[in-house]
Amino acid sequence: MIEVNDLKKSFGDLHILKGITTKIEKGEKVVVIGPSGSGKSTFLRCLNRLEQPTSGSIIFEGEDLTKASEKRLYEIREKMGMVFQHFHLFPHLSIIRNLTLAPVKLGLMSQAEAEKSARAMLKKVGLADKENAFPNQLSGGQKQRIAIARALVMNPDVMLFDEPTSALDPEMVGEVLNLMKQLADEGMTMVVVTHEMGFAREVASRVVFIDQGVIAEENTPEEFFTNPQNPRLQQFLSKVL
Amino acid sequence: MSDLMDKIHSTFIEGDRWKYLTNGLKTTLIITFFAVLLGMVLGFLIAIVRATHDKTGKMKIANFFAKIYLTVIRGTPVMVQLLIIYYVIFASVRIDKTFVGILAFGLNSAAYVAEIFRSGIMSIDNGQFEAGASLGLNYRKTMMYIIMPQAFKNVLPALGNECIVLLKETSVAGYIALEDLTKGGDIIRSVTYEAFLPLIAVALIYLIIVMFLTMLVSRLERRLAKSDRG
Repeated sequence: MIEVNDLKKSFGDLHILKGITTKIEKGEKVVVIGPSGSGKSTFLRCLNRLEQPTSGSIIFEGEDLTKASEKRLYEIREKMGMVFQHFHLFPHLSIIRNLTLAPVKLGLMSQAEAEKSARAMLKKVGLADKENAFPNQLSGGQKQRIAIARALVMNPDVMLFDEPTSALDPEMVGEVLNLMKQLADEGMTMVVVTHEMGFAREVASRVVFIDQGVIAEENTPEEFFTNPQNPRLQQFLSKVL
Repeated sequence: MSDLMDKIHSTFIEGDRWKYLTNGLKTTLIITFFAVLLGMVLGFLIAIVRATHDKTGKMKIANFFAKIYLTVIRGTPVMVQLLIIYYVIFASVRIDKTFVGILAFGLNSAAYVAEIFRSGIMSIDNGQFEAGASLGLNYRKTMMYIIMPQAFKNVLPALGNECIVLLKETSVAGYIALEDLTKGGDIIRSVTYEAFLPLIAVALIYLIIVMFLTMLVSRLERRLAKSDRG
């Protein structure tokens, strides 16, 4: 579904990604971990070209994103949901309008269709009673569940999660992870950058360790956590587990 | 006491001189109103150019001219701009002075409004742009539906203050012989040789309007603050 070939990204002289090659199959749940500054978030943000890669290619459903026109890029992004660390809900809109804005303004659904779909999504994330609330009336965990619902209304083929629980109070991490687990069980293709090792172990079909701008190791969660090969990974795991 | 009444009578009532003030006020309000409109529209467009350039690196040429415009307008006194527009640009045409006033004050205000709008746009967290983009909304749609409504709300008080400043600035309109409120008071002074009453009256009228507008702005601010708290 997503093929990444020799992806490089530099900010001036700072080389963040130094050649990443990997393939994400349909239905896979890839969890990306790594020390801060390793480039894992930049990697994720390159996948929908929120960051413009310096070189390399990203083939999504047969189409090279790095060569896509700007117009085409926005169309491709409709199929790639993204969830941010800081939610980025639209504070001036009610929850239901947060969910319906994109599908309606993009002409994908009528307002009525979008609202129907949004209500179904709110029910799914357990916040059906919040449709007329505003984002600043919600807790962090609720905001992130709404952000996930907002991405899901677009009916994406893949969901990208950029440290979705890092900005949450500890007691709210669980509700968001549970929702992500539920999504995974439903077969959603997911790429998740996170520090939640428990989630990686339980949900991932593959865990990728990015260190100093390269994939230092990738494996099934069992092998990855019980039998790490790369010394940097061994060191990293000894600190976080 | 009767002395004061006599003076008031001779200053305002005799020869219907109060009409200088009311007609002047009318002119001041007309100029302010249309100058605010012109300033808002033009300022908004300039802000879009500037913000789009800052955010995306596009519109380089338009941004270049916008910057020159802002530098020149904000770097010279509004009175000089008024004189140049009337005596230089429209030197050889007969033209309605009120129109010249509207144009001069509107063009001037646009520069300040542009920077107010731009700061409003730039104050919106970049994550809002990214959230829009990640949902497939292009720059224009993200601007229109996500950024602008928030930015506009944030700058409403500043825009209100700009209106107040503009109202007071129009008092130099007399320099092109426009009979605005200030000029009206001054005409009375030159006819009656009585300076105190007409000028104080003019000051009071400005003060009352400004206090009224200030009250509207602060009421607006309170309303916005309330909706921020949810």
